[in-house]
Amino acid sequence: MNILDIRNLSIEIETSGGPVRVIDKLSLQLAEGEIHTLIGESGSGKSLLAKAILGFINPRWKITADRLWWRQYDLLALSRAQRRQVTGRDMAMIFQNPGSYLDPNTTVGEQLRESVPARDLPGTILTRRKQVQKRAEELMHRVGIKDHDAIMGSYPFELSDGVAQKVSIAMAIAHRPKLLIADEPTTAMEPSMRAQIYRLLAKLSAGDGMSILMITQDLTAVIPESQRISLVYCGQLMETGPTEDVMREPVQPYTGAMLSTSLFNSDTEPKSRLPTLSGAIPTLQHMPIGCRLGPRCPNARRACIEQPPLRSYKKHQFACHYPLIEVDSHE
Amino acid sequence: MSKVLEVFDLTKYYYHKTGWLPGKKICALEPISFSLERGETLAIMGETGSGKSTIAKLIAGAEVPSNGDIFLNGQRLDPHNYRQRCQNIRMIFQDALRSLNPETSVGTQLMEPLHFNTDWDQDKKTGHVIETLRKVGLLADHYDFYPHMLSSGQQQRVCIARAIILEPQIVVADEAFVALDPSIRAQIINLILDLQHDMEISFIFVTHSAEIVKHIADKILIMHHGRLVEFGTTDALIKNPQQELTKNLLHAESKHNVLTHSTIQE
Repeated sequence: MNILDIRNLSIEIETSGGPVRVIDKLSLQLAEGEIHTLIGESGSGKSLLAKAILGFINPRWKITADRLWWRQYDLLALSRAQRRQVTGRDMAMIFQNPGSYLDPNTTVGEQLRESVPARDLPGTILTRRKQVQKRAEELMHRVGIKDHDAIMGSYPFELSDGVAQKVSIAMAIAHRPKLLIADEPTTAMEPSMRAQIYRLLAKLSAGDGMSILMITQDLTAVIPESQRISLVYCGQLMETGPTEDVMREPVQPYTGAMLSTSLFNSDTEPKSRLPTLSGAIPTLQHMPIGCRLGPRCPNARRACIEQPPLRSYKKHQFACHYPLIEVDSHE
Repeated sequence: MSKVLEVFDLTKYYYHKTGWLPGKKICALEPISFSLERGETLAIMGETGSGKSTIAKLIAGAEVPSNGDIFLNGQRLDPHNYRQRCQNIRMIFQDALRSLNPETSVGTQLMEPLHFNTDWDQDKKTGHVIETLRKVGLLADHYDFYPHMLSSGQQQRVCIARAIILEPQIVVADEAFVALDPSIRAQIINLILDLQHDMEISFIFVTHSAEIVKHIADKILIMHHGRLVEFGTTDALIKNPQQELTKNLLHAESKHNVLTHSTIQE
């Protein structure tokens, strides 16, 4: 059962040089309790997608979609207030630089207590303070911080990146969201801390049935617990499917290139040249028409000036006219 | 092979001064010694605050060591002789855009090291700048570009061009790959391998990505709390790590990539 269902979502931004389509017919489905990893390089519109789901929308963006459903709600049809209510109740987000997203002027404890919702608390208003404190401590323990007193009394600048990220996870899960969007949560961290944060997120997802949309930049950050992955390039969906299938049998040339440049293979000869896509990521003003990978794609031919439809192969879905594997065209 | 760089008992202390009293001595780097041969790549790995960037800065001459000597081709490097240092050892930084001057064009910035270190005439300097731009995969047209007009990959290429323009013997790169997109990162790695092959430059990388280290490094130096934990060839450290930390650092990423590893090998 998909709790988040996005079909052909497009976002256009008005610029001085005319409208620019930043996200182009992107589809994404997320099931309950699933971890879905969205992979895209810079400029692929992955953070914009997160904002569109959460409703942090700039009035200059034009959002169109065949479907943008969250459970039984059609998010695009809701009024601002209704949407705010749904988002606030069901969704949460964590960011890349946790240190800079926490309020530098107040202690961590105060910020955490503020995010505990009143509806969770039993008892009367007289015992409220104590209960909030107790709940905040519980949250700290859940994210793996043991000396809660020391951390809650400190200011964000005193925390290391890893601990700050744990605090922001604690704040995000305070109201028991059904969907957590993690926007490059570990990009600036060192490997050991990164593994801890991933383990924590996986545990939360398994324990609470919380769905996680993990947004990352490269394939090395895909965790084993992630059931599905989607690759996005310049706002177009390249390939999506179960993690294992996509990794084992990439169909889209982009997936193939990303896999080979990620240096997973232990059999890559050290110091050998890496296979890579030529050229650079196009800027927003100069998006190629049709398949946006076109100018960098090794398989590109004439037909690529038209955007390929989403086709399926086994359990994957991909968009390409000339895939790496022969796919029956009648499918 | 000749040893291009030899480091003996390199040490760095800081004094943390509070009030009138003489400050507390903080040891950023305990005495370490190692050597590097021509055309080799050394990777320095460690956790945050382990002193890996300190080594890079000391070798590049950005900081003065408290004790110890650095020898280049058997000749001692004077910590205050910047001319000798900058002709032979150059540095690449993490954030390409921030390490370039936004107000001057790429060509002018590349001209500066030639201006200060050679007595060539204008034509020869311009020719050399254009040749270096070609070497790093840019065009002669990029001479008149300003840094913000280039993509992140091209900016990093300009930084590499600036590092190799004086044909140095050693290039020190402090986290030079972190800020790049995966497909661009692979291009830059290829470029660095090509340059190393053509110009016989020795590279010193400070990084925490085990995969890149395994691919490009000949030797690895593992640091922890300012102390050298392990030093050896890449092969030896991967196959037979002596320390727990080495094992963790080199296998941390592959550990959580268990799935991808097993599925690819199947």
